[in-house]
Amino acid sequence: MIWQQLANGLAIGSVYALIALGLTMVYGVLRILHIAHAGIYALGAYIGLLAFRFVPNFWFSLVVAMAACSLAGILVKRYLYMPLLTLPRIVPLIASIGLFIAMEEIFRIVAGPYVLSFPADPGLGSLQLGIVKITNNQLLVFLVTCILLAVLWFIMSKTKLGLAMKATSQDLEIASVMGIDTERIIAANFLIGSAMAGAAGVLVGVYFNSVYPTMGSIPAYKALAIIVLGGLGSIPGTVLGGLLIGVGETLLLGMTDIPFPRDALAFIIMILILMFRPYGLLGKE
Amino acid sequence: MLRVEGIEVFYGEFQAVSGVSFQVQEGELVAIIGANGAGKSTILRAIMGLQRCRSGRIVFRDRDITAMPTHQRARLGITLVPEGRRLFPDLTVEQNLLIGAYRRIDPAEMEEDLERIYGLFPVLKERRSQIAKTLSGGEQQMLAIGRALMSRPQLILMDEVSLGLMPKYVDEVFRTIEGLHREGVTLLLVEQNARKALAIADRGYVLETGRVVMEGEAARLASDPRVKKAYLGG
Ligand SMILES: Nc1ncnc2c1ncn2[C@@H]1O[C@H](COP(=O)(O)OP(=O)(O)OP(=O)(O)O)[C@@H](O)[C@H]1O
Ligand SMILES: [Mg+2]
Repeated sequence: MIWQQLANGLAIGSVYALIALGLTMVYGVLRILHIAHAGIYALGAYIGLLAFRFVPNFWFSLVVAMAACSLAGILVKRYLYMPLLTLPRIVPLIASIGLFIAMEEIFRIVAGPYVLSFPADPGLGSLQLGIVKITNNQLLVFLVTCILLAVLWFIMSKTKLGLAMKATSQDLEIASVMGIDTERIIAANFLIGSAMAGAAGVLVGVYFNSVYPTMGSIPAYKALAIIVLGGLGSIPGTVLGGLLIGVGETLLLGMTDIPFPRDALAFIIMILILMFRPYGLLGKE
Repeated sequence: MLRVEGIEVFYGEFQAVSGVSFQVQEGELVAIIGANGAGKSTILRAIMGLQRCRSGRIVFRDRDITAMPTHQRARLGITLVPEGRRLFPDLTVEQNLLIGAYRRIDPAEMEEDLERIYGLFPVLKERRSQIAKTLSGGEQQMLAIGRALMSRPQLILMDEVSLGLMPKYVDEVFRTIEGLHREGVTLLLVEQNARKALAIADRGYVLETGRVVMEGEAARLASDPRVKKAYLGG
């Protein structure tokens, strides 16, 4: 039973990690909390569903959603954050929250205030590992997450782009002195982060078979808790934080009889981290 | 090679540089000396494009670069060894050097340059996979210089490279600078250590509260009584 819960928790945690990665990447280069990132995630679910209605193939809708979200991320960077960058950080933060709320309203107006179903079947089948049954949808979440994390790891540690991304997040000004076009590196962070959020949106839509306008609300703030837990700006920390929160809340809910609100755990952890270890699990002091 | 024409730089309403003009010829080593807060770093940052000029012009090899973004100036061959070293703290020594060569593509050239830097600073070779922030102050300074050299720059702007180093390292850093000068690299040096800077420079400028108040051959400046009194300790 605990193993079954663990599998559930890891699936949820994987999705949290995918969402929070974009947040941490943007924070890493711009020191902005990109709350509207959760809007991009919900956008991914809607675009994926739309694509699915044209071509009922999961992988097709995943790719379309990721592409559309990349584009949306770059537009947000270009037209929302860049003009506000010289102002105090609270200004882009407020703008970001504003955009997020606006996006939720737009989803409501365009797609209606309903929960839409997303009946995609990737055709993976389920897997019986001893007593643990990994469902079709869990398998899907693990597979897609592993592929995306592997690609991200490869970019960050094996390519020149990855090195430039690290340098830019450590000292943007000096990165430009070294000849790095930091505007493009920032755009790359938005592009990659938004693509992953889009993928997360499709995965969640399929996993819970539901897409709705405010689906980004809880993830918006939970992703914040996750990157604080992992250490602001740390990519491995974010993945770890996402998995820990996903597993933690699932176990707490599934294994105990305490009437504990699921979403509270992440925020309680965030408060504790801020009080006792403000640079997070893998962040820099 | 570099011509700065009447630049004015502001931080908000505060004017840090008020109409400064000077030149650096190809192959020259020029020193800017001045007290704390005179605006030396600000001038180097303006040349690199990290600070906007409200007026005036910066011309590099007959090209007006006043409005050019920093990374493009770097691609023209200008580089900066910034005040306070500013290494990429969580990258290794070698990664810091490779970032220095970011704009180049040929891996063979890059390898060659790495070896050249390691020849210049053998300690960096020993510590090539060490994380930069764990280096000693002197090693960090050498890495900052090495990183700048990796771009094969035509013009190097150096901001207080000897600051905070023990005398042994100071001498080593100045020897390195002289060596670069002999190789024909053009250098613009900002220094607190006016005596040492004027000893190796061809020409110098004295800066006071954002204005050039004196200029001339380094040897002449070093023997000028006013310079002696204000910057060389009598
Ligand atoms: N970011 C900033 N915001 C506001 N004022 C600044 C800023 N940076 C520098 N200044 C001011 O501009 C003036 C020139 O500073 P600058 O750093 O160029 O001096 P400096 O000659 O390099 O001094 P030092 O020898 O101490 O390095 C100083 O009065 C300083 O207080
Ligand atoms: Mg200075």
